[in-house]
Amino acid sequence: MTYPILGTGAVASIGADADAIFDSLCAGRSGLAPLRAFDPSRFNAQQLFEIDDRQTEGIDEPGRATRFLVEAIRQAAEDAGLPEDLAGIPVLVGTGLRELRTLELWWRDGVPLDADGLHFEDALRRHFGAVDTHTFAGACSASLYALALAWDLLELGEAETVVVAGCDVVTESMFGQADRVQFDPPPSVRPFDENRQGTILGEGAAAIVLSRSAPAGRPVRGRLHSVAVNCDAHHQTAPDAAGVEDAVRQAQAQAEVTPADIDLVVLHGTGTPLNDRTEAAVTARVFDSPGPALTGIKSLTGHTSGSAGLLSLIVALRSLERGLVPPIAGLADPLPEAAELRLVAGGPLAAPLRLAQVNSFGFGGVNAVAIVGGAA
Amino acid sequence: MTPAVTGVAVTGVAVALPGAADARALLHPARPGAGPVDPAALIGRKGLRFKDRATQLGLHLAYAALSDAGLLQNGELTVRKDRLGAVVSSNLGNVDTVCRAVETISKESTSALSPMDTPNASSNIIASETAIRYGLRGPNLTVCNGRASGLDAIRWAALMLRTGRADHILVTGVEPDNEVTRRLVDGPMADGGAAVVLSRPAGTRARALLGPVLRTAQPADTAHQLVRQVPGGGLWLSAEDHPVPRSALRNALNSWGELSGALGVVQCAAAAGWFAEGNKSPAYALAGAAGAVLLAPEGTP
Repeated sequence: MTYPILGTGAVASIGADADAIFDSLCAGRSGLAPLRAFDPSRFNAQQLFEIDDRQTEGIDEPGRATRFLVEAIRQAAEDAGLPEDLAGIPVLVGTGLRELRTLELWWRDGVPLDADGLHFEDALRRHFGAVDTHTFAGACSASLYALALAWDLLELGEAETVVVAGCDVVTESMFGQADRVQFDPPPSVRPFDENRQGTILGEGAAAIVLSRSAPAGRPVRGRLHSVAVNCDAHHQTAPDAAGVEDAVRQAQAQAEVTPADIDLVVLHGTGTPLNDRTEAAVTARVFDSPGPALTGIKSLTGHTSGSAGLLSLIVALRSLERGLVPPIAGLADPLPEAAELRLVAGGPLAAPLRLAQVNSFGFGGVNAVAIVGGAA
Repeated sequence: MTPAVTGVAVTGVAVALPGAADARALLHPARPGAGPVDPAALIGRKGLRFKDRATQLGLHLAYAALSDAGLLQNGELTVRKDRLGAVVSSNLGNVDTVCRAVETISKESTSALSPMDTPNASSNIIASETAIRYGLRGPNLTVCNGRASGLDAIRWAALMLRTGRADHILVTGVEPDNEVTRRLVDGPMADGGAAVVLSRPAGTRARALLGPVLRTAQPADTAHQLVRQVPGGGLWLSAEDHPVPRSALRNALNSWGELSGALGVVQCAAAAGWFAEGNKSPAYALAGAAGAVLLAPEGTP
């Protein structure tokens, strides 16, 4: 069983829609910049991948996660040809940090907020008339977890069409807690490089429209073949190879494909020493050499937390559509565990592609792996 | 959908609220003057020191519910770890950590932050700590969806059981009482919650059977749907009197303070408590525009 993806939408520091983001990835344009709204004197690290949308430079605003979410959903719905009113359509949102940035501004500066402002129900009802709306706060794999639940709704016939989205902005508490334990802030994000020094947070939102069937004659963006979810139950921050490998193998089994069928993997690739070593080792174990083309987006988008998985999935769909894989920017010397892997570096790789795997792993060992295919 | 179609049963129940340590206690108002729940008394001090209050309460509830379901015996799981998942509903579990951090950064800098708070900045800390402590390797989901969050958590757990992603899912609804949560809800805040184990197939340990779980645009429509799908209910678990029929027996579960994300799970636990007292007719739960029906287990005396 596969389900058509009728539309996509995205915003990130490197582009205001999915095509712009894909073009930036291929061209090596980065969204990394000096802090735009946090007081730099309070932090060691001085850079983030923020979306440059604040009205006044240096002054933060509440409600930005909601703003990006609404924009990504608006794009995806339009791309899918849905009406502006999404009343009968479940909207599932995966997010690492919800509106916790607004919570911070409430506590520190007194901007208005109540408990219902932490999640997205009111905004989704106001903008789209959506009533069956859900906010899942499952760290960095949240949006692919939401995708798994959307799959289940379609599978059981409980919905005909589902909007799945992810969104996150950077909170001072998350940036600050990471800053507290990261004594030498990385100058850049370099996934799978021997000299990688860690990750840097980013902002973004992504949305897709998934359906049981495509309207006759309407082009689709691709097809979802499976989503597997599990938990390492091992460690808060250190990934567990066994849990990650289980998730990958489950996704392939559910999609009824073998590793040799996969042409492309969009890796989680955060640029932290531990994630990349574990992910490279698992990838080398699952795929026989030479294996699929491997890429990742975080050197240019930063780690966009809960939206990261779905953003990677949309990039995978564009790659399948165009036969083009953006490179991993900043990758010069691959780590030893990746010596035999086909990491795409330097420039984009042109190749015919049919099936792509998308990895997304989160804090606490929450893993999600999706398999998507081209429109054909 | 008929009740039997879901095939999902509540096979374990735990409650942790001041003065209420089991499902039947939810059928009566809170005992005045009851002290806060002490997780260390049930699960020991080890591993609790740097956990936030909601996570401590969540670990307490997980232990009690998994034990009640017979899935945890002498510290070991009795079922396959990868077939046992966790869904947690908490809207406010980590808001105090977030607010304290931003205040410290504002007054000093990040060097004044405690590294021990780092994991607690993530909203899925309760679910992931539960998985790590008890070895739950199945799906691990955190729902932060406002007033309906607890019933939504039940719905997603049931969905994942029905599609075969797991055989058992621990559903925990928990909130902490602190200065930040009280200010956010503008009133007294509950400190604790409930957990239930949902299983499919139901097996012999059913405390309750799960009927339809649904959501519409309005609470009144949800109530109407519940009664239409499963008529003849004898108990309404609803914080509001509207749209509960005037003559119906209603339990608001409001004497512990605002239950927020814990509400729906506490309602399910209360229904199990009601069945444990010998009641046979269905119970309706309403939280926001979400609703659920719970049915008495078959063959209870």
